Amino acid sequence: MKKEISVLMDGELFEDEAEGLLNRIKRDSDAHKDWEIYHLIGDALRQPEHIHCDLSAKVRERMEEEPVVLAPRSHAVKQKMRTFALSAAASLVAVGVVSWMAAQIAPETFSQMTMQQTALRPASLQIKPGSSDYLMAHQEFSPSTDMSGGAVYIRTVAYGTDGK
Amino acid sequence: MRMRVAFCGLLLTVAANVNAEERQVSLDWLKIVAFAAHQTDYSGVFVYEYDDRVETSHIIHVVEADGEHEKLESLDGPKRKIIRHHGQVWCYINHKMVQVDSQQVHIRFPAFLPEQISALSANYRAEQIGVARAAGYNAQVILFEPKDNLRYAHKIWAHTGSGLLLKAAVLGDKNQVIEQYAFTQLQIGGNIDRSWIGATAPGDGLPVSPEVLKGGTPINSGWTVDALPSGFKKTMEIQRSMRGRNAPVTQIVFSDGLSAISVFIEPDDGDEDNVSGLSSRGAINLYHKVVAGQLFTVVGEVPARTVIQVLDSIRHKGK
Repeated sequence: MKKEISVLMDGELFEDEAEGLLNRIKRDSDAHKDWEIYHLIGDALRQPEHIHCDLSAKVRERMEEEPVVLAPRSHAVKQKMRTFALSAAASLVAVGVVSWMAAQIAPETFSQMTMQQTALRPASLQIKPGSSDYLMAHQEFSPSTDMSGGAVYIRTVAYGTDGK
Repeated sequence: MRMRVAFCGLLLTVAANVNAEERQVSLDWLKIVAFAAHQTDYSGVFVYEYDDRVETSHIIHVVEADGEHEKLESLDGPKRKIIRHHGQVWCYINHKMVQVDSQQVHIRFPAFLPEQISALSANYRAEQIGVARAAGYNAQVILFEPKDNLRYAHKIWAHTGSGLLLKAAVLGDKNQVIEQYAFTQLQIGGNIDRSWIGATAPGDGLPVSPEVLKGGTPINSGWTVDALPSGFKKTMEIQRSMRGRNAPVTQIVFSDGLSAISVFIEPDDGDEDNVSGLSSRGAINLYHKVVAGQLFTVVGEVPARTVIQVLDSIRHKGK
């Protein structure tokens, strides 16, 4: 395999052979690593200004740690919404770039990554116990009370109603 | 050829009829469910799942000559208890039962007025999923999918015999469960404990708060919402007292048949709890904002974007 990769990098394989090998490299993570290392060696020998190194795993790792804030909470809501929208757009672009990179490298990691993305939960603030009176006042007139009877009232007195 | 076209046309008409029929059946189920919720004696244990939490509670509901009596008690976590009787609500707060609500303005029952039903079919796609089992009973499963992203989807499991709701889920736009109620054990009809009812009559065991007892008075406050999502109609506009507040509060309720949005308007008393912001519990989103000395609060079982849109479009049109 290593020899084949080396031959491929030297441009000495026929087109159909090269395609088959590239497909195998995409599926085999060891071969994929070899492919990267060979390129790194080649780059180092040619001493270019930039050396190629794979950032995608690190970017992905950092993005997973980032909380997704979907609850703007400020006096200047509009302003904040605008910045929020801008940063959301920026992160979408970032996700796009990273996804594209991942797709270029290996289709498997790409699908894994999209799965992790959907597993993220938006951060949200719990309603404060002091606001329970609003929930109670609302509940009396909500169609949900007509449907489920008193059971839905339990959400007006979720944990921590004591006090105030 | 002409025959074939005619035949296709006939098929299409039949398909459209089946669709309309299914929608009508689903809407009829809603009426049955609402009727059963008020008129059935039952006792059971249910779980409420929301925000990655699960709570278990016990509920008893019986109908007597003087109206409905209902007792709700949490079985885990801190003690929480609610007693409801004829529009009056008591809640266990600071180690005693306190009267928190009293509404004499009973426009709710019978539920589902014709205009609400038509608003409902204009804004939701109703689909009968089939029959499934819940809490040991057979249930008709019906899904109400919203036609826009300003409301949630509702999936209900109605007991095929009585129409009582055995399970109900609120789903988000990615079909994720936002909150869910499900009976795990349920007795419908039969011999149900009524020994606790004597204590629910006002003045006989449960305290009466003269302030709360006054209830709300219907008013025309002059406040309107410009950007109300389609299908939401005003069902109530009252001036009411609220626990812990000196000034009366204006409450306006809008409903699209399956969910409601309440708008509260009151003078800002400078309480530190009145900070602007969004918070949620299960399907309920709450948004606070102080504008020109007035505290606006919007509460509803609708997505966060909807309560924000409603609050930001509240205007005073004069009386």
